[in-house]
Amino acid sequence: MAIITLPYRYLERLAGTDRQTIIDRVPMIGADIERIEEDHVDVEFFPNRPDLYSPEGVARAMRGFLGIEEGLPVYTVSPSGITFSVDPGLAGIRPVLGSAVIRNVSLDEEAIESLMGLQEALHWAVGRGRGKVAIGVHDLDAVTPPFRYIASPRDRSFVPLDFEREMTMEEILTDHPKGRDYAHLVENFENFPLIVDADDRVLSFPPIINGELTRVTTATKNILLDCTGTDRKAVMTAVNIICTALAEAGATIETVTVEDEEMPTLAPAERVVSVAECSRLLGIPLTAEEMSRLLRRMRFGAEPDGDSRVRILVPCYRSDILHDWDIFEDVAIAYGIENFDAALPATTTVAQEHPISAIARAVRSVMTGLGYLEAIPFTLTNERVLYANMQREPAPGTLRLLHPISEEQTVVRTDLLPLLMEMLLANKHRELPQRLFTVGDVVEDCVTYQKAAAVSIHPAADFSEAYAAADVLCRELSLPYTVVESADPAFLDGRRGDIVVDGKIVGVFGEIHPAVLRAFDLEHPVAALALDLRAVPGYPAEPGTP
Amino acid sequence: MELTLNEKRLLVTLGPMGSADAAVLAEKMDARREAVVQYAILAADRGLVDVEKHVARRYVPTEEGRAYMEKGLPERQVLESFEESIPMRDLQSHPLAKIAIGWMRKKGWIALRDGVVTKTGATAPGPDETAFARLAERGEIADGEGVADLVKRGLVAEEETVAYTVSLTPRGRELLSLGLDLREEVGTLTREQILSGEWRSLPLRRYDVTKLPKRAYPGKLHPYQRIIDEMRRILFDMGFEEMSGGIVQSSFWNFDALFQPQDHPAREMQDTFFLGERWPLPAGYERVRDMHEHGGGTSSTGWGGTWSAEKAMQCVLRTHTTSLSIQHLAAHPKPPVRAFCVGRVYRREAIDPTHLAEFEQLEGIVMDEDVNLRHLLGFLKEFYAKMGFEKVRFRPGYFPYTEPSVEPEVYVDGLGWVELGGSGIFRQEVTEPFGIEHPVLAWGLGISRVAMLRLGLRDLRQLYRSDVDWVRETPTYGGRR
Repeated sequence: MAIITLPYRYLERLAGTDRQTIIDRVPMIGADIERIEEDHVDVEFFPNRPDLYSPEGVARAMRGFLGIEEGLPVYTVSPSGITFSVDPGLAGIRPVLGSAVIRNVSLDEEAIESLMGLQEALHWAVGRGRGKVAIGVHDLDAVTPPFRYIASPRDRSFVPLDFEREMTMEEILTDHPKGRDYAHLVENFENFPLIVDADDRVLSFPPIINGELTRVTTATKNILLDCTGTDRKAVMTAVNIICTALAEAGATIETVTVEDEEMPTLAPAERVVSVAECSRLLGIPLTAEEMSRLLRRMRFGAEPDGDSRVRILVPCYRSDILHDWDIFEDVAIAYGIENFDAALPATTTVAQEHPISAIARAVRSVMTGLGYLEAIPFTLTNERVLYANMQREPAPGTLRLLHPISEEQTVVRTDLLPLLMEMLLANKHRELPQRLFTVGDVVEDCVTYQKAAAVSIHPAADFSEAYAAADVLCRELSLPYTVVESADPAFLDGRRGDIVVDGKIVGVFGEIHPAVLRAFDLEHPVAALALDLRAVPGYPAEPGTP
Repeated sequence: MELTLNEKRLLVTLGPMGSADAAVLAEKMDARREAVVQYAILAADRGLVDVEKHVARRYVPTEEGRAYMEKGLPERQVLESFEESIPMRDLQSHPLAKIAIGWMRKKGWIALRDGVVTKTGATAPGPDETAFARLAERGEIADGEGVADLVKRGLVAEEETVAYTVSLTPRGRELLSLGLDLREEVGTLTREQILSGEWRSLPLRRYDVTKLPKRAYPGKLHPYQRIIDEMRRILFDMGFEEMSGGIVQSSFWNFDALFQPQDHPAREMQDTFFLGERWPLPAGYERVRDMHEHGGGTSSTGWGGTWSAEKAMQCVLRTHTTSLSIQHLAAHPKPPVRAFCVGRVYRREAIDPTHLAEFEQLEGIVMDEDVNLRHLLGFLKEFYAKMGFEKVRFRPGYFPYTEPSVEPEVYVDGLGWVELGGSGIFRQEVTEPFGIEHPVLAWGLGISRVAMLRLGLRDLRQLYRSDVDWVRETPTYGGRR
């Protein structure tokens, strides 16, 4: 999530209101206040609104929301005459370039930090960690146009930011901290992306690092912006957000000619939406006039188009507007989510318990009646608990996590009994007897189904206790079963039985093998049972598949 | 005054003597002395007898002391083993020499010159030896001169003996003179006693209600399951149908069908548990593909770019139960639908007291003609109110598959406003590919957080790796609902 630092003084100047009003109201446009400090407030904005990742962007939105300045913000652009060429050799590497010239900036340390913060937030939210979009800002006066974006041999060298010596691009990937962080984005290409000026001096090695040559300082007056990437829409979103934020701060924007295209235009997109559809979705009666008024507070250009439609101009920085309903949400926000009257629809529907839940409920009822306590163990476990400790062979359909986060949780459980054994270990110091049961999901071969299991530990726990419990459970679940001697190595030979239904083994019960008891560090006999609930009459036919 | 049978027997036995040692009474009553003391203390509480406790100290030989009891202390034995003098070397061959020589010198019985030991003549027994002789005679001694020395030498050990004298009080004597019923008291009634009516004339044992019974523990549901059941009950009451489904989902149902772009951070391996398995795409998946690429037949632009079927086939552990909701809607595209599900969901998070890699999510969906944002708020308010959260408020929110999105917050005493789940109306990009023509209200709730609030837990892990005593001691009925 992007957390944006908003310095009060700067924000108050830009927004034209006081800090308390902003702190009170900013959550109602969609934000969480993280921290309120002496001189600033840290606010988390949602990932669909990267245009709010700067104090300038927040001020622009708040001016509208508070009724200080409504409607579409207009940004004028004039040509800079600068051209920027794109090497066709970049086609399979990083083909998209967006650019702009931003003049008359006045940057103090705080403004530079804020600009860097915006860049980083955009790298995360729009650039997907610089892969999709990477942004570079340069001191335009340190270099000479025209500029070229080229696919360069990997041994080309220049002085990267924060270093004093020249390094080859390959060296940068191994020796520069940013190089190491982002090497994975380029290292497989034969040539690397590079931006140079008319004198072949290096501005940037996107998406890794800029050159020291064009470092932006408090003395910088004019900026050249480069956004490179793989997705044109995302690249232009980044260009538009940065340009309009700096324009809000007083800079003027000029276009750059990138391969015959003048950019940026900072022009709004047009949409015509239905008033009735919006009214229906939000549940409030609206006129075209009212809806237009509300949208202007959200900084859209909006005018009624007859009685039933509204013609809307979407600001160029609103990359989140994909669909008409995105506009309707802004109508709701302007109306005030807190102003909606909650209501329930008149339709009648009939409740229905899922058949698996009904079976699980029956298991709970029987097992608690037998004096067992319910446990709800994790579904993620490991092969030591699931198989090795139980002296069992791994089930063929065991699902292994590709990237487990700990050695304790590497597979999805295929059985419940081992988890109950683990639970007994965790409660070793508690009074005996302990009788535990659980009912829940297991997964084999991507298919989710349910089992029930129970354990009883105390000095007199034995086969008869297990058999009696298994018999009760099966009878109460209307499960006609027979028993044959089992070969399950988790149980003691001669004291174990398989529950058989329709010729298939669907469960097991008996005395847990002493070696298994020791593997779980238990010291008393355990009588146990496990049952596959798919055998129970009424279990649904369709399995829980992906 | 209701005496127990044992108290009565004590009084009757004590009667002729007036006062007696508990050990004597025990013998006469054919009971253990400790039991008699118990009866006496009960009777004393009623003012019928006095119990006097006497503590006496005595000294008994240790193992080493017992070894000397027959022949005397080692120094005496060695002294008597030679005449007036003896070379030290010869003396040292005596088996007790090691202990004895030191003591003989200390007591001034011998002098050593030029390697020869000579008796001094002052060899009369001291108080320790006198005491030891008494011990040898009687097997035990009381405290007295010389005993402390023997204790120090480890030859005798102190033993405490406690004796009880029980004496009748005037009240006890009075009661006794009235006569006592010494028939055996009856505990559990037998079938015969009940049928014959004999119970009427039997002395029935009375029980002391101030004594707590032995603690029994019932079999019971897990406290968390009870909260889950309570929520399910609320949703049944509101007319919802229950859904269930697989833990493993294809990325298609977990992400793509919910219009999560394929390069969304949640789809990276840092946040989601991916599996090596692949699952074929359902028929008609192309409509989802088109929606991602250009917005299908809606007013949406889509995400642009190229949608990868390969990526959609990758299996994951479901990150939300919304994957079940969309499948339910795909199977039931006609209104009305009201459905919910409680199920485990998975996030690739390191486990600590407030974060788990798996936890329960509750999710509700409502699809109907003309349901709208106000109805979403209505369902949420009703649901939270039934859960016991009276104060609910709403703020704009963001979820990738809903638009508009709303964050409900509930007021919790001591914590203030707490964000409790997310909600919204499914985007048309989500519903349109499955032929769903009416708005779908949806909300989700991380119920392990609710359980923590309700059960006063500080550590989420307690829900899943529970302390048996905690389950035993958590009441079945919380007293709230």
